[in-house]
Order: sequence, then structure tokens, then C-alpha cells
Amino acid sequence: MKADFLILILTGVIAAQTATADGEVNAKLIADFRSYPNSNAGTIDSGQSLELNIEAYQDFGTARGVLELVARIDDQDTGRRILDARQAYVSTELGGVQVYVGNRQEFWGKAESTNIVDVVNQKDAAADQGGAGKLGAPSVSIEKYMDYGDLQFWFMPNFRELTFNDADAHPSGELPVKAARYQRAEGKNADDFAFRFSTVVDDWDLAGSLFYGTARTPIMSVVDAGKALEPYYPEQKSVGLEVQYTGDATLLKWESLHGKQDSKDFFAAVAGLEYTLYGVLNQVWDLGLIAEAQYDERPQAAAKRFHVGGLRVTLNDAEDTTLLLLTSQDEAKDQSLISFEASRRLNSWSSIDVGAKFFDAKTPTSVFGVLNDDDAISVKLNMFF
Amino acid sequence: MRLLIAAAIAVLSSFLLVSSHALADKGMEIALEVIKRDQGWGDTSSKMTMVLKDKYGQSTQRSLRNSSLEGSSEGDKSLVIFDTPGDVRGTAFLSHTKKTDTDDQWLYLPALKRVKRIASSNKAGPFMGSEFSFEDIASQEIEKYTYKYLRDEKYSGVDCFVVQYDPVDRKSGYSFQDTWIDKSNYIVLKTEYYDRKKSLLKTLTFDGYKKYKDKFWRADTFLMVNHQTGKETELKYENWVFDTGLSEKDFNKNMLKRVK
Repeated sequence: MKADFLILILTGVIAAQTATADGEVNAKLIADFRSYPNSNAGTIDSGQSLELNIEAYQDFGTARGVLELVARIDDQDTGRRILDARQAYVSTELGGVQVYVGNRQEFWGKAESTNIVDVVNQKDAAADQGGAGKLGAPSVSIEKYMDYGDLQFWFMPNFRELTFNDADAHPSGELPVKAARYQRAEGKNADDFAFRFSTVVDDWDLAGSLFYGTARTPIMSVVDAGKALEPYYPEQKSVGLEVQYTGDATLLKWESLHGKQDSKDFFAAVAGLEYTLYGVLNQVWDLGLIAEAQYDERPQAAAKRFHVGGLRVTLNDAEDTTLLLLTSQDEAKDQSLISFEASRRLNSWSSIDVGAKFFDAKTPTSVFGVLNDDDAISVKLNMFF
Repeated sequence: MRLLIAAAIAVLSSFLLVSSHALADKGMEIALEVIKRDQGWGDTSSKMTMVLKDKYGQSTQRSLRNSSLEGSSEGDKSLVIFDTPGDVRGTAFLSHTKKTDTDDQWLYLPALKRVKRIASSNKAGPFMGSEFSFEDIASQEIEKYTYKYLRDEKYSGVDCFVVQYDPVDRKSGYSFQDTWIDKSNYIVLKTEYYDRKKSLLKTLTFDGYKKYKDKFWRADTFLMVNHQTGKETELKYENWVFDTGLSEKDFNKNMLKRVK
């Protein structure tokens, strides 16, 4: 792992030296310090990791090569250690369509608290980086941009499994994770397909998508007489819908996913409202009020219904200080999560992120009950080169 | 006597009405001429350094690239890409200006690879923590203001018209803007922004005007001074380039993902 890390740094340095006007290399180093104030006996109560991101692109005439490498070392949690090409693709225009071959990262969705239609990439869940923590999707994809909308088609021949933290790390079920089982006979080698059409009609951003493949989130079960966890990846066929209405200060958001998983029908949706008050308290501060309702019939969901409320504060200062507070609670008022994120620029080459997450549940066997000892406080120092 | 006064007032007010119409017409004519003389620029790109200074003189810098496409039936389109500081590198801001309706705006967040449509009613809010608000950097469409000619005045030795621009949109952060326009070239040399309480809020001065393509004047320094906070922001442009071959598709929201 350390040798890989060194090679990566060297590659980056060499690439930086050879970059021309048609290309560029940038690097980012993240030092992450985490504390787990509520950790169970036998689990770690703090952790540190160092992550290097190298981003490079090079244009060759009308074609472009893009490389985005992620290397992360962690002092204790092997689940967080990774060397991944989050993006490593070549792209060119062929017969009026843009063609991409290689690992890519893509985002679909509109909501803030969760993005159920965002099916292209697997999550690097162990990294606990929210939407930014994704694994590159090995794929061939094409995009066509037209006056009335844009089309995407994805062919993904290699499935990537969700990343898990170690049993004694956080968040985890405190049990080792066994090799995954798949509903589809070809397992990891089964082909996945995705298609999306998106368009803008005045104040409305609309998208519809289709997915056929292996579900990104596995169904976890306790096996071996309570000694291990086993992920099971079912087949998923689904239709996704995304709507955002952008009003003066109001955003209305909708995401839904309808289809079959593990040969059973399911429906999942997120409906959201975001209202921004500009220039609050006679300052240049903006205050965003977020309300979202989540519904998910799939067994992977912690509960069928969650209500989410949040506040986003943007100070609009020279340091771009932002704060985000989100609370989630299930309908039965059993499980809840409070999360807080703040970020601020320190100088031209560094910034700091502070985050906290607190899980609570009345029923110890519920998902948040299991995560109860995974409360975390983190400080991240980002350095840019 | 009373009748006489009433008649006098009637005559006077109709005279005032006529003259205020005349002043509005003259203001509009000047503003139209400013826009008319700058028509046909097509597309431009430029590099920019933004220097933010607080009231103690401490400064921070950011560098960005800007490209714009002239609109015909609708307003102009513009794209801003951030290069520094490091934490915003690769962030891009796309704006489709509308002549009368609110503008369409999208933000690209590179870490998430997410293109986010943002509400554009935040006209009065600061752009990137600077003294420029979103409405200051938006393209100036004629329909967005009403106009009033105030007077002739010299500004730094140049004969100018002073015209008051009154924003139509009530969400504007300003009650009005007084603009000094060079009489011979019809270019803006200075703008004073008055807040909603009609107090002087900011002054923007333009410097280093150069003529491109034998027709289009572009300044290389924009200095915005906030009189109420003591802060200022300077925009320094380098290499204004015209006819860069940009087209509508370069200002499509999906292009944001491919911006480098």
C-alpha cells in the first residue's frame, strides 16, 4: 500500500513536469482526524487518514484523456485504505455524440438528503465522504446534446462492490463482512445498463432514467450464528424520475425510483423544499431552510419513511464559510440522525472542514440502533497543489 | 387668486411632466446608444484576477476565466471558471441572462460532479464573497432599468453624461445607480450604487479602456469600493479575446461537466 502511494506521488510529479498548455495536473492532500465519542468497547475511539487526489487531463486534438486517482491510507481501518482510479477515461466526439471509455464518475439527482436515482457509481461508503466518495464506474458511455434535451447511455460491464469499514472501525456492524452473494448468475461480471434523458423547460429541470443491472446497495444479513455479515446484491430494474422547480427563492425537488428489485416491486421517492432567505440579520448571510421527506420500500432502507429538516448558512465572506445542519427522523420516531458540516478557506492553498454525526435509536436492533456507537466528530484539513 | 394658483400649478406640473418625460427619453437614448455601440461583439473570453481587500488593507486573491456569448432574442450567456484558490478550483458558474424574466443560473461542483440549478433571486448577494453582487456582474440588458438623464459633468477630465439607472426588479439591492458615460465613446467610466435607503453604498470605476476589433471598448480594471464597509474588490482583466469560436452549445449546462 505504501509503495503504491509512493508510485502515485511520483507519477503525479512526473505528469506535472510534462504537462503542456493542453493539459493540467492538480493535486489535493486531505488529512482527516476522527473521534468516536460513543464507541463500544473493543472498537477504535479515534482514527486518522491521509488521502491524496491527483487530477490530470490532457487534450489530444479533439480527444481528451482524464485521470483522477484517489489513494488513502488509514492508521487503523483497512476498509478506508484504497487506491482507485475514480476517473480514468478517454473521450472524443464521434458522429455527433460524445463517447467516453474508462472509469467515470457521474451524478444524477436533485435532492439534498439522499439521491435515490444516482445509480451510475458505487459508493466508497467506508470513506464517509458523502456524495464525493464514489468509486469509478468502468464503462462505455455516450452522450448526445440536443436543443430539446440531453441523452446519456451507459454500459457498465464490471460491478464494483460497496466498501465497508473494519468490524472494529466506524461506522460498522461490528462484525466481519463475508464475500458477497449475487442474484444474477454472472455475479460481478453481469452487465449493467443505464439511460437518461434530461431537459430544461423554463423554471423546470426534468430528467427520466432507466436502469437494468445489479443494485448498488446490498441487503445485509447476519449469518454464521451471528458471527458475520453477508452482503447480497439483488438485480434491479427501475425507472427514475427527477424534477426541480426553481422559483425566486424556492426550490422544489422530486426524485423517485419505481421498479423491481430481487424480483419484488418497489417504490422509493424523495420530495423536498428549499427556501433561501437572503441577507439575514442585516448581513450578507444567506439562510437556507431545507425540508425533505424520504420514502423507500426496499429492505436496504433504515426505515420506510424519514423526515429531514435542515439549515444551510452561507456567510458569503472572503473565506466562503458555510454551515449545514441536517436532522433525520423516521416516522415511528424511533431512529434519528443529526449531522453537522462546516467548511472555511484558510488561505489560497488550504481549507478546513469540521463535521459531526450523531445517531440515536430507541430500538437497539434497528439500523440506527446498530450505528449508535458510530457517532463521529471529524476535522479535515484540505491542501491544494 | 386661488384659480390663478391652480392654473399655475397645472401649467407647472404639466411642464414638469413633459420635462421629466424628456429627461427619461434622453436618459434612455444615452443608455440605448451605449448598448447599440457595443452590439455585434459576438463572443469573448478573458482571464481575470479578483483582489479582495478588507478595511485593514489585508488582501486575498482569486483567479478566474470568463467567457461570454452575445444574445440575440434573449440576453447574453456567460460562463465563469475558478482556478484559484485551491478549494474552488474547477467550480464553474453558468448564467443565461433573460431580458425581462429572472436569469437561469447553474453551478458546477467538481468534487460531486454535480450540476446544480440555483435560484437567481439572490441578485443583491455577493459574488464569491466580493464587493460585486450577482447583478453587478450580470449582463446589462436595456429592459432591466428605467432611465433618467441628470446632467453633464466632467469625470477625470472627460465630458460625461450622468444618467440614473433605476432597476425594474424589486429584488435588486439598489434604489438607483448614477452612471457617468463618456460623451464621445459612450462607455461607462463610473457607477455609483445607492442602497434601498438611498444612501451611497458602492462606487465602481473603470480603468484602462482599450478598443478591440476597431469598435468595442473593454476596460482592464474594475474597482468596486464599498463606502459602508470600507472593503473593496478589484477585477483585473488580461487578454480579452474576441471571436474565439464559442457557440450556443458551449453554454449548455451539460458542458459544465467538461469544463477544464
